[in-house]
Amino acid sequence: MKTIFIIARRTWKTAFSNPATLALTLILGLALCLATFIGWQNFKTQNAQRLKYKELVREKWLAKPDKHPHRMAHYGYLAFRDKHELSFFDFGIESFAGVSIFLEAHKQNTVNFSEAGFSNGMLRFGEMSVAMVLQLLVPLLIFFLGYSSISSEREAGTLKIILCQGVSWRQLLFGKTLGIISLSFSLFIPIILLTVLLWAMLSDWQVSADSSLRLVFLVLSYTIYFIICAGIAVLVSAFHRSSKAALTSLLVLWVFFAIVMPRITQALGVILYPAPSKMEFAAAIGSDLHEQGDSHDPDDPHYAQLKAAVLKKYKVDDVKKLPFNYGGYVMAEGEKISAGIYNQHQQKLNQNFEQQNSFSVAASYLNPFLAIKNLSMALTAADFKTYIDFQAQAEAYRYGLAQRMNKLQIEKISNIAPGEKEKPLSISRSNWAEQPDFQYRFKPVSSVISNHIWSIVSLFCWFCAVLIVLGFSSRWVKTL
Amino acid sequence: MNPTIYRLEFKLFFRNKAALSGILILLISGFAGLYFGKKFIHQQDQVIEKASRMQQEQTGTNIKHFGKDPGLLLYHNKFSMVNVPDRWAAFANGQRDINPYLLSVTMLAVEGQIYDTDLSNPSTLLLGNMDLAFVFIFLFPLVIIAFTYSLLSSDQESGIWALVKSQSGSLMQVLWRKLSIRIISIFAVAVVLMISAIFYLHLPVDLRFLLIFLLLSLYLLFWFSLSFWVISLGRSSNYNAVLLISFWVVLNVIAPAMLNVWLTQRYPVPEALETLVKQREGYHEKWDIDKSKTMDKFYQHYPQFKQYPFPAELSFSWYWYYAMQQMGDDEALAGAISMSEKLVKRHQFTNLTALFLPGIQTQLRLNEMAGSDLENHLNFQKAVKTYHEKIRLYFYPLIFQNKTIENVQWDKFKVATYQGYATGNVWQHILSVGILILLFMLPAIYNFRKRISLF
Repeated sequence: MKTIFIIARRTWKTAFSNPATLALTLILGLALCLATFIGWQNFKTQNAQRLKYKELVREKWLAKPDKHPHRMAHYGYLAFRDKHELSFFDFGIESFAGVSIFLEAHKQNTVNFSEAGFSNGMLRFGEMSVAMVLQLLVPLLIFFLGYSSISSEREAGTLKIILCQGVSWRQLLFGKTLGIISLSFSLFIPIILLTVLLWAMLSDWQVSADSSLRLVFLVLSYTIYFIICAGIAVLVSAFHRSSKAALTSLLVLWVFFAIVMPRITQALGVILYPAPSKMEFAAAIGSDLHEQGDSHDPDDPHYAQLKAAVLKKYKVDDVKKLPFNYGGYVMAEGEKISAGIYNQHQQKLNQNFEQQNSFSVAASYLNPFLAIKNLSMALTAADFKTYIDFQAQAEAYRYGLAQRMNKLQIEKISNIAPGEKEKPLSISRSNWAEQPDFQYRFKPVSSVISNHIWSIVSLFCWFCAVLIVLGFSSRWVKTL
Repeated sequence: MNPTIYRLEFKLFFRNKAALSGILILLISGFAGLYFGKKFIHQQDQVIEKASRMQQEQTGTNIKHFGKDPGLLLYHNKFSMVNVPDRWAAFANGQRDINPYLLSVTMLAVEGQIYDTDLSNPSTLLLGNMDLAFVFIFLFPLVIIAFTYSLLSSDQESGIWALVKSQSGSLMQVLWRKLSIRIISIFAVAVVLMISAIFYLHLPVDLRFLLIFLLLSLYLLFWFSLSFWVISLGRSSNYNAVLLISFWVVLNVIAPAMLNVWLTQRYPVPEALETLVKQREGYHEKWDIDKSKTMDKFYQHYPQFKQYPFPAELSFSWYWYYAMQQMGDDEALAGAISMSEKLVKRHQFTNLTALFLPGIQTQLRLNEMAGSDLENHLNFQKAVKTYHEKIRLYFYPLIFQNKTIENVQWDKFKVATYQGYATGNVWQHILSVGILILLFMLPAIYNFRKRISLF
């Protein structure tokens, strides 16, 4: 054990005696601090913007005068997607997902106004966040530091001397790996401290247990990721005759894993599981609606049956004689049917998207970068699952709002329609406050873990694999 | 020039496994890029093909259900406009996955409809498309680096350089020969890919093709000149590799990523949410105010409709309804204009920074020429607005006069198309990348002239 630490300390010292390493580490550290700060600032601006409009929407809703409830159902609500406090750490899909959704009766709208929609293409080159630096650039630094760890000793002829002095291959490999890990931690630890500080400030020093857990898991995952990267760097160096060859191999690996493979896996997923276009999606819902009952169709059999049943139940011969507002009753039924059908189709679409994404989850067993990328997004609540959860919660709110207004209409609006020239019916504005404000609730960390169990397992597999190969590679590695 | 020496140099270059694998990687990923890019656009083409049939069907159903009430019919009926992908869009998919290429609008307030997005998987948007433009912008430079970083140093490290020095007349010529062989190989791959693109993507061979090829060539030359400059510093192979990869990471990853966050921070677009809120309020509040106020404003906008009598005594009329909807648009107009101004500012900022970042510069110009950039989408939105206005002007009189839809010429309102691209900013690319090439090439030549004998 002692030998391992000696080697690790030696690695650390030689690395930092090289001015290039020092410069690179400093530049990266600076980039990290800048990224953290800008991300934090960005979070505050965007969040303040959304909060401002959220409050405005609520205010306007409450200020509406006496109206027919169905007018309110059409006035609807605007919901804004909340950002999790930790999303300044990892932007995830944040910029590519819409921000606002208009919730109205009869109609499910899309989530609009994503940052990507305002970008002229530069966004495709990536966004600077702490996660991006940690996932992409720190491994590159690790590879730069580690490519010569063993091979340069071999080239200089010191490798055989070290091994002759009673140091085992295993000790040498673990020592070198430990040295490189500690190097990367000299960047990682300060950044984590900074993140914790900024995160606490964002949550007004009232940190929640759930967020703290998320952060702990985040730190753990990145630690494992760096260990994997360092292990790979040392192993590649050990198996190559020259440093130059080791460096080339590591750079090829980095480019392939971090730049090329994520795009290819996703593109494959999209091609193998093509999603319907919006037009086809709407048409499919339309045809289902036609089968189950279309309230717009005057000859629809479902609504004819409904009418007959209601008339029979209340023993009247005309809907005008019913003791409640029949129009509201039909609309409540229509909303129930159309929302049910819509939800079915939306779920199918989400499954479709998840099948597309499953490629990158499966590929994380070949590529640790994808594992950490998926996991990190999920832990900072900036992933696909959180997005569709927002959609689902917004839709549930929309449905609740529409049905509440239908209920108000059924109960409080006279069933006898006023004449063409008479004042339209309305109910008191005091009813509006009954509809609570939309508030998105983030899923607890436990659901993140169960949703992303395969990414976690893959990271763990990589970790074990690297440790095992480090432990047993002395059998295959050549000293000379 | 001695052709035999060239032939020998080529042989030497291709002896190296790295050379062949580099070329193979480019070819494979290039063909993959062609395939994925075409597939992506093909899906859009297919949807566009179906669009006109589906619109016809839906209009038919709507007429069946609501034909007696034109106001209600137009409340429900949708008119579509498609942004037809240019053939080049398969080469550079650009923003075509983010921005909708098919917008269906009813006659209601247009501001509430044109920002609707397509159904898309945000994870796919995040990871981006794998098109040929990606291969050119990201992968070609890496292979150029791999081919050139040890141009001089590997010979020095293996001791061959000393031999060359003693036997060859002009060392500069030796280096040029080595470099030109690499340039020729890379360009050969580029030409093969471009020719395949012509046939596979059915690209027209015209001025635009030549311009795009010119831009790509300049971009590739930029990387050669950068690499040549790094070689001229006379350091070890490992040093060169680390330095060049760092350049690649800074130019194509870190700098754009930094600029993106800075851009979002400096030019936020609250106007989007503002427009949304204004449009919604502008229309809905009209239900609760005196009809005459709405109608006065409406006649200010459209004096020609004053001739149709307004049924003020009715508690509801479609006349009033569409005037209210119109107010939603009119009151959101200021917000919409300031939003597009903000986007222009963003565009200018990106263009300015792109002067120093050849990767972004090339990507932006490619998207522009392929009609897959934000500009194109904004123009498409404008076209939709114009089309929407045409629909309004056609149907307003019909509804205001309570006419039947018997004489409506539905043929006039088939799926409308928009198509466009721009080549205006090509000069900016040629100039900026050209200057950057010189910026690295001249010091490199100077370094070699001065110190080549010392290496």
